[in-house]
Amino acid sequence: MTISRRDLIKNGLGALALSFGANEFFSLAAQASNLAPRKPGSSKILVVIQLSGGNDGLNTVIPYSLGSYYQARPTIGIKAEKGLRLNSELALNPAMTGVHELYKLGKVAVIQGVGYPNPNRSHFRSIEIWQTGDAEKIAETGWLGRYLDVCCTGKEDLFPAVNVDPMLPKTLFGSKVNVPSVSNIEDFRFLTDPQYKPDRDVQIKAFNDIYDSYHLKRPHMELLRKAGIDANLASDKLHQLVKKYSSDVPYPQGSFGNSLKFISQMITGGLSCPIYGASLDGFDTHTNQLRAQEGLLKQLSDGLSAFHSDLKKNGLDDDVVVMVFSEFGRRVAENGGRGTDHGTAAPVLVLGSSVRGGVYGSHPSLTDLDNGDLKYKIDFRNVYATILNRWMGADSKAVLGQRFDELGFIA
Amino acid sequence: MPKSSNSDSFWIRHLLRRAGFGASPDELQHYIKLGYEGSVEELLHPQSVNDDELNRKLKMQAFDFTNIDDLQRWWTYRMLSSKRPLEEKMTLFWHGHFATSDRKVKNPYAMYVQNMLFRKLCLGNFHEMLLAVSKDPAMIVWLDNQQNRKGKPNENYAREIMELFTLGIGNYTEKDIKEAARAFTGWQAPATGFFFNKGQHDYGEKTFFGETGKFNGDDIVRILVEQKATSQFLARKLCKFFVADEPDEALVQRIGQVYMDSNYSVKSMLRAIFTDEVFLSNKAYHAKIKSPAEYVIGTLKLLQINELDAGIPKAMEKMGQSLFMPPNVKGWDGGAAWIATDKMMQRFNFASKMSTERFSEVLRQSTPLQIVEKQGLNNSKQIVEYFLALMLDSDVPASTQKRLVAYVASDINGNPVDRIPDEKTLDAKLRGLTHLIMTLPTYQLS
Repeated sequence: MTISRRDLIKNGLGALALSFGANEFFSLAAQASNLAPRKPGSSKILVVIQLSGGNDGLNTVIPYSLGSYYQARPTIGIKAEKGLRLNSELALNPAMTGVHELYKLGKVAVIQGVGYPNPNRSHFRSIEIWQTGDAEKIAETGWLGRYLDVCCTGKEDLFPAVNVDPMLPKTLFGSKVNVPSVSNIEDFRFLTDPQYKPDRDVQIKAFNDIYDSYHLKRPHMELLRKAGIDANLASDKLHQLVKKYSSDVPYPQGSFGNSLKFISQMITGGLSCPIYGASLDGFDTHTNQLRAQEGLLKQLSDGLSAFHSDLKKNGLDDDVVVMVFSEFGRRVAENGGRGTDHGTAAPVLVLGSSVRGGVYGSHPSLTDLDNGDLKYKIDFRNVYATILNRWMGADSKAVLGQRFDELGFIA
Repeated sequence: MPKSSNSDSFWIRHLLRRAGFGASPDELQHYIKLGYEGSVEELLHPQSVNDDELNRKLKMQAFDFTNIDDLQRWWTYRMLSSKRPLEEKMTLFWHGHFATSDRKVKNPYAMYVQNMLFRKLCLGNFHEMLLAVSKDPAMIVWLDNQQNRKGKPNENYAREIMELFTLGIGNYTEKDIKEAARAFTGWQAPATGFFFNKGQHDYGEKTFFGETGKFNGDDIVRILVEQKATSQFLARKLCKFFVADEPDEALVQRIGQVYMDSNYSVKSMLRAIFTDEVFLSNKAYHAKIKSPAEYVIGTLKLLQINELDAGIPKAMEKMGQSLFMPPNVKGWDGGAAWIATDKMMQRFNFASKMSTERFSEVLRQSTPLQIVEKQGLNNSKQIVEYFLALMLDSDVPASTQKRLVAYVASDINGNPVDRIPDEKTLDAKLRGLTHLIMTLPTYQLS
C-alpha cells in the first residue's frame, strides 16, 4: 500500500515530548579543556618530523673529507665544494640552505650515526622501531603516546597532540590518549544541507546526543565514537584558532609547507598542545637519487626555515623544538641505478632557538662496515631521552622502559 | 553451515558487503533468489555472469586510460555497476597486496594493464599471479627492477616480494634478499611489455631456502609460493580483508591449509572463508571498518545513485584511499587506521553530499521522499525503522533509534511537531535522517 505525499503530511508524523532549540555548533566544545589560550613561554612544544622512505644520511650530512665516501659513491657522491660546510669534515646537502643558516646561528644540532642494535632494513619494521622506541618486540604504543599517557592522565584533553599527516603515526599511539589527525583544515568542517540552513543546528544536536550514548558491543566501537565526537569538537576549535592568525611568512608550496604553516597557526593561535607530528614522504631513493633527494631536502629545509621565522616573529621560537628523523639511512655504496638500497644509521637533526647547536657524536666509519652498512654510534633512544628529560620535563625511564644517557643538545 | 538464527537474506547482505561493495535493493533480490550457497558460487565464478551491459556503458564513457583521473573513474564505475562484485573486490585486494602507485610509475596506462592483470587472475592460482606480477611493467618500474643488473643488484623487488607479497617479515634473511636480487637481474620492462635482458642477468649459482642452482626469478617465485610462511601470510591477509580486522587465528590456520591442499588456489581459499562458521558468526558480523571504497560505493548502491561523477574518486581519496595511489608498497593498513579524526569528518561530509545533493532522475532512481511514499511509511517511527533496517540492519542502540525519531518529528528549528507542516520540511528531515544514519558508528562497519 502506498499513500500520497499529501496524505502523509496530513496524517502527520509522530509527536514527541522532547524539546530542543537552536544550538551553538558543538557547544560541548565549551566543556573541553585546552580552551584557555596558551601563554608564550609557559610550556614546551615538540614538533616531530618523519622523513618517510629512508633518507640517505650520507648525502644529507656529507662526510666530504673522507675519500672512502667518494669511492663508494662514484656517481652520486656530492662534491666537497658543493656542500654547505658545517666544519672541516662535514657539509650539508646543497639544497639545505635554510637549515645551514640556522646552523650558523647555533640553532641546529646534528647528531651523527643514530641507529639501534640489529638493524632492520624493512621500511615498516624499522619505522615502527623508531616510532615505538622498542627495538626488540612489537610495541602497541608510540614513545610520544606513552609520554602523553604518563603526563596527561586524568586530563580530558581534546588536543594531547595534533597529527597533521594524512596517517596517524604509531609515534602518537597511546593507551589512554587519542590524538586527533587534521591534515587539511579547509575540509575539516561538518557539512549539512545548504538548502535547509536552520536544520543544521537541529542535526548537530541530534548527532551529539546520539554519539554521547552510543554504546554497542561491536569491534572498534569506542574508537569510532570518540573519533566522531573529537572530529566535530576539534573542527570548531581549530577553525577559531586559524582565523586568528594568518602568517605572511612564505612557506614552500606543497603539502609539507602547508603542514608546517598549519602547525605554526595552531601554536601562534595559542593552542595548548605540547606535540605536533608531520611527515615528508618520498625518500626511498633506489634509483636516480640525487635530484629526487635534493628536491625533498629543499622542501624540508625551506619549510623549517619559514617555520622558524614565523615563530620568531611571534616571539615563540624559544618554546619550540623540532626533531627530524627517518626509519634508516641507506647503504654506503651506491647501487647500479644511481641510487642506494636500504641501510642503517643516519643523522638526526634537532632544531630551535633553545637547542645547543653543533655536531654531536663521531661519524661512523665508512670502511669498517656491517654487511655494507654503517655501524651506529648513538642509540636513537639517547636522543629521545634527552628530549623527554631536558625539554619535555618528563621521566624518560617511565616512557622508554629503561634509562638512556642524555646528550648535550639541550641544556 | 551454522548461521545462527538469522535469515539467509541477513547473511547474504553480510556476504555482499564483504565479497562486494554492498548491494542495491535490486541486486539483493537477485542473490536472495540464488540462496546463500548459490550466491557464493556465482560470486566465485564471475565468468559465468554476463556483464555486457557494464562493458557497453564503459565504452560509452570513452575513458582515456592514459589519464589517471579517468582511470580512477573507470574503476569506481566498475565497482558500482559490475555484476561480478567479487571480481572487483579481489582486484582491489590484489591492488592493496601488490601495492603499486602511479605517483612513482607515472604511467596510467601501465597501471591499467596491471589492474586488468589483477582482474584476470584474481581468483586463480597464486603461483601464476606472483609470476605475472613479477613480470608486470608497472611493478618493475615501481620497485626498481629495471635497474637490477648483473654485478650491480638493486634489492628493492627482492626485499618486498618476501616481506610484503609472500613470506612476511622475519621469515627470510638479508642473504636471501641478496640472492633473490641476483636471480631477478635482467627482468626489465623497457616499454609496456616484459623483457628478459640476458646481458644483464646474473647466471651464477645462488643458494635460496636450502636450494642451490643457477636460479632465475621463476625459481625464486616457485620456491616462495611453496613456503608454509606464504600460506599463513596470504591466509591472514585474506581473512583480515574479508572476515575481521582481528581475524580468528584458528580460521587463519584453516585457510592457510586450504592454500597448501589446493595447489595455491585463491578461489578455494575464498570458498572456505565464505562458508566458514566464523564468517557466518558474530565474530565477523559488523567486525570490520569499511574501507573508503566500501563506504562510498556501498552508499551509492543503498541510495540507488546509479551514475558517478568525477567527485567520487576524490571523495575516496579524502577518506584515505586514492585508487592507483596507495600510500606505500605495504598498501592500505585498513582497520582502525581508516578512522583518523579528519578521515571520519570526510565520511560525514560525503554522507552529507549524497543525502543533500539534488540528483537528476537519471542519476538517482528515487529520493528518500519517494522511498517513503513507495514503502507507505506514515509516521516518523516507521520511517526511522525502515532506513535503519535498510542501511545498517538496525544494529544500533535503542537510544539512537529514539533520538532519530525525535529528529524527524521536529520542525526545521527543532521544535517537536505532531504533523510535519509541509513537504519541504519532510524533505529536509528525510535528507537529514539519511545523513545522520551514515554518520553513525555502526555505519562505518562492514
